[in-house]
Amino acid sequence: MTFDIEINGRARVVSVERAAAGRYRVTVDGTPHLIDAERVGSFGLSLLMDGGVSRDVQIAPGGAPGEMLVRLDGRTAAALIDGRRTGRASADGGTHARGEQAVVAPMPGRIVRLLVSRGDDVAARQGVVVVEAMKMENELRSPKAGRVKDVAVTAGASVEAGRVLIVIE
Amino acid sequence: MKILIANRGEIAVRIIRACREMGLPTVAVYSDCDRTARHVREADQALHIGPSEAASSYLRIDAIVDAARKSGADAVHPGYGFLAENAAFAAACRDARLTFIGPSPEAIALMGSKTAAREVARKAGVPVVPGTEQPLDDQLSDDEVARVADRIGFPLLVKAVAGGGGKGMRTIDDRSSLPSAIRSARSEARSSFGDASVYLERRLVRPRHIEIQLLGDEHGTIVPFVERECSIQRRHQKVVEESPSIAVTPELRRRIADAAAAVARAVNYSNAGTIEFLLDEDGSFYFLEMNTRLQVEHPVTEMVTSTDLVQWQIRIARGERLDLNPEAALTAHGHAIECRIYAEDPDLGFMPSPGLIRGLRPASGPGVRDDSGVSVGYSVPVFYDSMIAKLVAWGGSRSEAIERMSRALREYEVLGIRTTIPFFLWLMRQPDYVAGRYDTTYLDRLLVDRKGESFSELTSEDEEIASIASALDAYLRANAHSPAAGRSSSTTHWKQAARREALRE
Repeated sequence: MTFDIEINGRARVVSVERAAAGRYRVTVDGTPHLIDAERVGSFGLSLLMDGGVSRDVQIAPGGAPGEMLVRLDGRTAAALIDGRRTGRASADGGTHARGEQAVVAPMPGRIVRLLVSRGDDVAARQGVVVVEAMKMENELRSPKAGRVKDVAVTAGASVEAGRVLIVIE
Repeated sequence: MKILIANRGEIAVRIIRACREMGLPTVAVYSDCDRTARHVREADQALHIGPSEAASSYLRIDAIVDAARKSGADAVHPGYGFLAENAAFAAACRDARLTFIGPSPEAIALMGSKTAAREVARKAGVPVVPGTEQPLDDQLSDDEVARVADRIGFPLLVKAVAGGGGKGMRTIDDRSSLPSAIRSARSEARSSFGDASVYLERRLVRPRHIEIQLLGDEHGTIVPFVERECSIQRRHQKVVEESPSIAVTPELRRRIADAAAAVARAVNYSNAGTIEFLLDEDGSFYFLEMNTRLQVEHPVTEMVTSTDLVQWQIRIARGERLDLNPEAALTAHGHAIECRIYAEDPDLGFMPSPGLIRGLRPASGPGVRDDSGVSVGYSVPVFYDSMIAKLVAWGGSRSEAIERMSRALREYEVLGIRTTIPFFLWLMRQPDYVAGRYDTTYLDRLLVDRKGESFSELTSEDEEIASIASALDAYLRANAHSPAAGRSSSTTHWKQAARREALRE
């Protein structure tokens, strides 16, 4: 089986073939490896590479829908597998229609303040809305320079993660 | 003594642990979303007190006092946050004949007003940072406020009178940002503390945050402990604390401890409290505020002095005498560091990352302590503070503690949500942190300089491992024997498990 894997924005083509019990031939961008892999619990994978080099990795769904998080030696990276990722909501907004970008709630919360109104010109990374969650006020910024096409929420409203708050054109 | 814990999360678990070691029964309280929280499961009893919003549950004095009465508790430990520094709550406990494990309502009220506390310190002969002596009148015009600010001198801080934990606080560099900073500080102060009053204080340019933990008993004894340093702050919120401070000499330690004890004595303080100071570059120190409760960072003091502060709180509340050796309390054995693990995504500007914890393996091993409030299967709610655990590392020296912390962070596994662990791993490697060259502005400056690079920067080899693991994971899921994937009913699941066991025989 062949997968397009993107880690931290860098894409690789990885194919996996079972070689023997617990052993797999894994080819990364044309380079073959013979890897001993065992599942540990629901999300863990213990890998023994060439020369018995041991790497312990966990792969679990993240908070955002469709997101997979790969944990490796205390660090965490988002993985995109075959382009499947409904999108990690980002402070810099998700993509919208052509030329338009939306500022999306990255977590459930409450709209504290709107910093712009429809028709306002905004600079890239200008704060546009303040969302409160976990006792913190988080200022979300405009993903690009442009004009506010739509303000889809009102102050005081509760929003779910992924909700479009403001559209910039 | 049966103790009701008027709190949640890691501190509720911490208090339950102390009670259990002392053989005391515990009562937890919980809101709707905390039914399966760890403190509920670990307490001897647990009572529901209301909906998830803190204002309707953990902040409801009547509901908590009622829960105490119903459960037969005769004492209340408030933890930190929520009602811990609410004088009306301490008074309500007293009125209901419940022992409040903390200072008197009078001491809480007095020191809870940051402006009144500054007055106490001044009278006790302890220097305070220049600032307004009264809360800022909310009827003042912008111009009038600007004149007050000019008198103190820029740069300034606007701070909530009822404040703490960096909430309701803003920095002000010049006149132009004054009105908006005051407005947002008032708004945050109102939502965090229910009190919108603020005051102005001169901002020292490169101060270190040094604080003295102390215990006082009901017989007039005050024992100050070796200092903690909490200069590693993000937006005025402590994220790493340690003890002792690299910037404090034994001579300075004695002077700061004496000053702290003088402030505590001036208000007849009993139980656990902390006096916070700013230490300026020239070695002078200033009283900042007093926290009339147990602090988040109390474990670092416990680790270097081998003291259980929570157990002492309970003993003091029972009327016992503090018989600690004051010299030992002021002497650090080794060095301890604490990292506050938040459910936040450091790569997204520390945006909250609530949600289901799918996997959890806390760090352990020599010199490591994990004070956690969560477990697998628990969903970190959006309603409260985002701290899920505190990781503490002890070492014979500061550099040993840093190495141990790095090792422990690497071990600490939290799956399903983002945490600040990758950020701490990065911080522990920063040369200025390792050298102890920092002040309260260090971390914010460092973060600005990073311009949003990922804290989980992987080498290309690591990226390749991550790619291989992701592909193997997808392959194994796709090729999993189809019955194993069918989790339609628990019965078939059990049957399959039994069948697999039989095959293995």
